[in-house]
Amino acid sequence: MVNIALLSLLAAQASAPDLGAQGQPFPTGALNVGSPGGIPIGKLMLMPEIAVVVDGALGYTTLSNGQQELSALVLPQHKVWPLLQEVELAFQATIDPYVRGDVFLTFSPDGVEVEEAYLTTLSLPWGLGVKAGKIYSPFGRTSQLHRHQWTFVDQPLSMQRLVGADGLGGAGGDVAWLTPLPWFAELHLAYQATAPGFADVLQLTGVARLIQYFDLSDSATLGVGLSWALFQAEAPEQWKNLAGADLYVKFRDPSSRSSVVLQGEIYGRQLGEQTFSQARWGGYAQAVWRLDRSWEVGARYDNAPAPLALAPGTQQTWTALGSFYTSEFFRIRVQPSLVLLPGGQNGFQGIASFEFTIGAHAAHPF
Amino acid sequence: MNHFAAALSVAVLFVSIASPARATVNVVTTTEGLAAVAREVGGDKVKVTALSRGIQDPHFVDANPSLAVKLRNADLLLDVGMDLEIGWLPPLVIQSRNAAIQPGGARRLTAGTAVPPLDLPTGPVDRSQGDIHPSGNPHFLSDPRRVQLVAAAIAARLSEIDPGSAAYFQERLQAFRAKVAAAEKEWKAQLAPVAGRSVITQHKTLTYLLDWAGLQAAGYLEPKPGVAPPPSHVAGLGAIVKSAGVKGVLVESYYDPRSANQLRDLAGVKVMVIPGDVGGTKDASDWVSYVDTLVKALVQAVQ
Repeated sequence: MVNIALLSLLAAQASAPDLGAQGQPFPTGALNVGSPGGIPIGKLMLMPEIAVVVDGALGYTTLSNGQQELSALVLPQHKVWPLLQEVELAFQATIDPYVRGDVFLTFSPDGVEVEEAYLTTLSLPWGLGVKAGKIYSPFGRTSQLHRHQWTFVDQPLSMQRLVGADGLGGAGGDVAWLTPLPWFAELHLAYQATAPGFADVLQLTGVARLIQYFDLSDSATLGVGLSWALFQAEAPEQWKNLAGADLYVKFRDPSSRSSVVLQGEIYGRQLGEQTFSQARWGGYAQAVWRLDRSWEVGARYDNAPAPLALAPGTQQTWTALGSFYTSEFFRIRVQPSLVLLPGGQNGFQGIASFEFTIGAHAAHPF
Repeated sequence: MNHFAAALSVAVLFVSIASPARATVNVVTTTEGLAAVAREVGGDKVKVTALSRGIQDPHFVDANPSLAVKLRNADLLLDVGMDLEIGWLPPLVIQSRNAAIQPGGARRLTAGTAVPPLDLPTGPVDRSQGDIHPSGNPHFLSDPRRVQLVAAAIAARLSEIDPGSAAYFQERLQAFRAKVAAAEKEWKAQLAPVAGRSVITQHKTLTYLLDWAGLQAAGYLEPKPGVAPPPSHVAGLGAIVKSAGVKGVLVESYYDPRSANQLRDLAGVKVMVIPGDVGGTKDASDWVSYVDTLVKALVQAVQ
């Protein structure tokens, strides 16, 4: 972030004025026509905060392409394959006293995409806040996160296949009401055009979410969320209803960097012509232990609908995680997974990844 | 009609009793140190809530949404600034929906704007230098000179919010200044015999206090701000300990003491665990007792 004090100091050093006993204003720099006057580099203070996040990996799998169908990450079978998964470019700034703007562009092997670009109101009354633009839908917990906010290298397949390959999102608006209750309780209502699952076709979507946090003690916080999305389905294979529930518990001794997070979500999806009893369900549960400032380990169980090319059934994935942080801006992760497919078609997948951030300091994820 | 008027009068009386005019300013601070100073200045005209605790590393407070609820009705948000809370405060402020405490808002006071900073970068400003604070070192509140500047800024802002109590806040400010002056006299007397001596600290948390006390930092356990101490760095500090005659290492209670203990084993220094802020230990219950604890630890560490 460009800082006024530092800029003032730099300007003072650069121009080395003799301010005299009474003090004089900063010189305007060169006396050229068109000189803006004031601090020569003052314009920099109006620059948005800029950050770049880069994710790269080495992946290996024993699974065929068909067995990896409907996965955001598909690896060549039996090869150690290098990947540059994503480069995210973030611009964030206050637009005026009433709204701020956030823009996130992603560059990946699939091309360039606007991941999110939205305004956020800062001064609406009655606890209301509005986000408008291209946004992640207020659905579930993990589906709203950017890649660099993921604890694991990938998203649970249950989320990818039942919610969206990259989460659920699209153009639209989200009105959020922070209720006047003594604990954190926020109700979201969103209206968007989204492309759920791995489909490319946009569907009009209404989303509702209630998220609440309760401080159980000085060192334990419980988060409970309920989400529901209603889609305008115009074909039998399109999403019609999507329900979700998420649970999050964080234990952290305030005097320590160590923490334990238990988290789980379930999703239920009903397609256009399905009855409620035909809806597909899935979900994941994970535990992550941050040992200290540098080390983190985790485990995740994921239960998702199997790829369409295989026999109907579920795919279970057991994943372990080891992360090492040299700082808040660089981490290395190793993530082996055991994949259990219908009919005993089991396999292994391993990913070693690195991620770094340059530029503005992002908020710590909670 | 008379009955109606009487009933209305009773209702109005009841409402006026049940909803008295707000007598206190709801102050929310990011740290317990700022909360302590706000209490000194605001007295019984303020209700003060701290978002973090003195036992916490203020760089790494969780952005727990529950904290946004505390900010929702804040009449004044006091933060340290200089990027100390950059990892957790900004999302909470947005979540709070409290327009007045957004950056630049009328009910936002960043204490760092009230003090002259130290440790302003003079070389490259990038993260090869560690987790640096480009605006200067944010750990200024233990400095008896700067805390008075912060207290004055708080008094001024409280007076704007509650003009009817301006004289009260000024009176409290003067009383706090007198309390600090009296304590300073005592602390200076304790420090005089050890002036110029050196200590080692974990992080640059005592820069301002050492500057005020006339002591030196011979080195830091962190090779660069926020970077974990590797054994080679601790070994290097061992040589500094011997050449500079360092007797003690000071480590805030929220840091892992292993590196300090390694240095103790290597070079025979004392390891002093100190509060990182007001409330960091049982003894540090307010600002004066917090700095008193630090001064005693400093004196002990250099002897």
